[in-house]
Amino acid sequence: MRKAVAIVLLIIVTVGISLSLAKIPFGAPKTKVGKRYIEEGIEDTGATNIVTSVVVNYRGFDTLGEVTVLFIAAIGLGVVLTTSKREEMRKIQPASLILYTGCRLLFPLILVFGTYVFVHGHLTPGGGFQGGAIIASGFLLIYLGCRERRINRVVSNLAESLGGLIFVVIGLLGLVFGGYFLFNFLPKGTANALFSAGIIPIVYIAIGFKVGSELAGIIDNLIEES
Amino acid sequence: MMSFLADYIYYIGAFGLILIGFYIILIKHNLIKVIIGLGILDTGVNLFLISVGYITKGTAPIFSGPGIDSEHMVDPVPQALVLTAIVIGVAVLALALSLAIRLYQHYDTLNLRKIREQKW
Amino acid sequence: MVNPVLLIAVPLGLAFAIPLFALFWKNAVKYIPPVALGFNLVVSLMLLSKVLENPVIVSIGGWKSPFCINLVAGPVGVLFSVIISLVGLLVSVYALNYIKEGPTEKYHMLYLLLLTGATGVVLTGDIFNLFVFFEILCISSYALVAYLRDKAGIESAVKYLIQGAVGSSLLLIGIGLLYGQFGTLNMADIAEKIASSSPISLFVPMVLLITGLGVEAAIFPLNAWLPDAHSSAPSSVSAILSGIAIEVGLYAVARVIFTIFGAQSFLLFLALLGILTLLVGEMCAFNQNNIKRMLAYSSIGQIGLILFALAIATSYGVTGGLFQLVSHTFSKALLFLAAGYMIYRAGSMEISALEGMGKKMPLTCLAFTIGAFSLVGLPPFIGFPSKFLVVRAALATKETYFFVLLSLVLLGTVIEGAYFFRVIQVLYFKGEKPNPGRKEAPVAALIPMFTLAVLIVVVGIYPKLVTDVLNSAASEFLNRLDYIRSILG
Repeated sequence: MRKAVAIVLLIIVTVGISLSLAKIPFGAPKTKVGKRYIEEGIEDTGATNIVTSVVVNYRGFDTLGEVTVLFIAAIGLGVVLTTSKREEMRKIQPASLILYTGCRLLFPLILVFGTYVFVHGHLTPGGGFQGGAIIASGFLLIYLGCRERRINRVVSNLAESLGGLIFVVIGLLGLVFGGYFLFNFLPKGTANALFSAGIIPIVYIAIGFKVGSELAGIIDNLIEES
Repeated sequence: MMSFLADYIYYIGAFGLILIGFYIILIKHNLIKVIIGLGILDTGVNLFLISVGYITKGTAPIFSGPGIDSEHMVDPVPQALVLTAIVIGVAVLALALSLAIRLYQHYDTLNLRKIREQKW
Repeated sequence: MVNPVLLIAVPLGLAFAIPLFALFWKNAVKYIPPVALGFNLVVSLMLLSKVLENPVIVSIGGWKSPFCINLVAGPVGVLFSVIISLVGLLVSVYALNYIKEGPTEKYHMLYLLLLTGATGVVLTGDIFNLFVFFEILCISSYALVAYLRDKAGIESAVKYLIQGAVGSSLLLIGIGLLYGQFGTLNMADIAEKIASSSPISLFVPMVLLITGLGVEAAIFPLNAWLPDAHSSAPSSVSAILSGIAIEVGLYAVARVIFTIFGAQSFLLFLALLGILTLLVGEMCAFNQNNIKRMLAYSSIGQIGLILFALAIATSYGVTGGLFQLVSHTFSKALLFLAAGYMIYRAGSMEISALEGMGKKMPLTCLAFTIGAFSLVGLPPFIGFPSKFLVVRAALATKETYFFVLLSLVLLGTVIEGAYFFRVIQVLYFKGEKPNPGRKEAPVAALIPMFTLAVLIVVVGIYPKLVTDVLNSAASEFLNRLDYIRSILG
């Protein structure tokens, strides 16, 4: 009975959406907004990766909201999974020597790669969120491979809040210097250089640290609890 | 028929994922399966958003060297939207999983039919 | 002139800074939300007098209009911002003493971020930005419902989360369809292009958007999460959820219907849906024995009434709907705040356990009574002019179906009066426990309750204090073309 109702509902949804999709041919010509972002992107922002300039500069407010959502999720996890007393850790079987050494060898390389991805966010595909996720996967490797190591919660909380605070402060500085929140007030430099595109690399570095420490904190909370 | 399929394969795939996600959320009893269904639904929606922005024979909108023409670049705006949507989806899934852990500790089962402490 | 961005940026920055405060100076953390919301209240009041004629439009990043995200601080937005910051400030003062156990600094962070998300929803002029701030609002409310980590809280949070997440996915599909058709995400730009598009291809995105936003706005049949969530959350959180979160959801639905789509033909269906929500809410509230569940179902009923009033879509109707919204926010917040301490002293949420509270906590019960009378719509409280305006709007349309629906509204009001009077009877006229002993709620809780009660009485006696703002707000919703012209030039 419930299956029948669900299938009928899904058929209605499918029909409705297919009727509406008829108006959106696949591979349609460019929209006005997209065209302007591609053509004037480099002059307006200085970043050669147009997606980055859209994410941080043209639609930077959405990115601020997204950073906030991840922050809320990390805090929410902290609320739901707090243990009121430190229970003693279960006996964890230590990892074998090969696994332990291999993880310790790979970890700095993963960190370097993640840092490269978010520092070069305005030049190559990548950016703060992608780099942060790579850094967090490095921490996950340490949790799975070298099993007694834990991250320092104080440092990770500090990195989270400083990252978010720097983003908001840069926005407010844009308000002070340029009259608009998140105005790109630093010099734009020459395209394709590392130090170009104004506030974009700084924002992405802050986001990279924040997301990396946040996801590592989430993984830490989940592993501690189970 | 084949050209129709080839043209619209991304839309069909995205909506297939969305419908599968909806079906799982509506039908399954186990909370972990429902959360997986939520993840599949999110993936389907993101795929749909990206495929809205595709331009035929387009490449990534990155000016990686001098002299790249901007004629054949795909629309950058849906990619920015999907970046945000993926992060929001991850946040919701993380919160859902933590709630599932606590729920199991309280009720000793993850069957949504049995977790009905609050009646009418 | 103040920049409306500060309404969002300053609380956000303070919320990010709370972990830093928690490291050095733990006792100061609980005072940060009142400070931030006080700042918001001052800025909103400063903006209010300026936006009544022309909305203040700021672009984020300095680009020209359809290529950027803009914040549109019009009369509706600033009115909502004033209400959000006022009620948020009062409930955060209440929470100074009410939230004592658990990770309290996380509570305050989540609380401030919920209200920032709500302020962002009402001020934004871009539909994807609406989605992002709406998600901020929803996800912080999922986490706050689960704050007490008891059985009921976690179960309600799980059900709320699943329904809310499905709703936001539907919302995102609708946004994708709109972007694919029109190529822009700015609300005014979409509204301009809609005029030249066929109605059938707009129907699906509109239904998806309304369904997605309707989960948070608690429209029947999408409100199955509400009774559990609002009754299992701590009382200060219930006050904010019932008083602000569902109203902001309804604002988003109204914005989509009136400004983006301008859909006249859909309004009758919405009026019917509103009446259905009203009747379901009031009838289920009548059967309840748990006081917070009763108040939660009453919220559903009131949202149905507001939706019905907004769907009348005349100037009287929208003004009446907005007035009813303001009155519901104040009254329901007061009811939940009073119920919080009554439950704490009685030890249980059953109505029968509250016998004789009128002698034990006279001031708190007086506040509860004022809130109850105001919600039912008795003079001289704020509920009376607002309900009167809604009734007058329905009568002024001179259509028979509105008269029929109006009679159902009056039926709902009668049922509401019945269950509230039953509670008041239990509070004051029942059960002489042998040793009553007065033990009132603490001062930090009494101040917000009495501020709300005073506001309810003052605005009830002089509704002219707020009617100009409400009239400009109503005309912003109804005059789509002015909205489009003021943004796109």
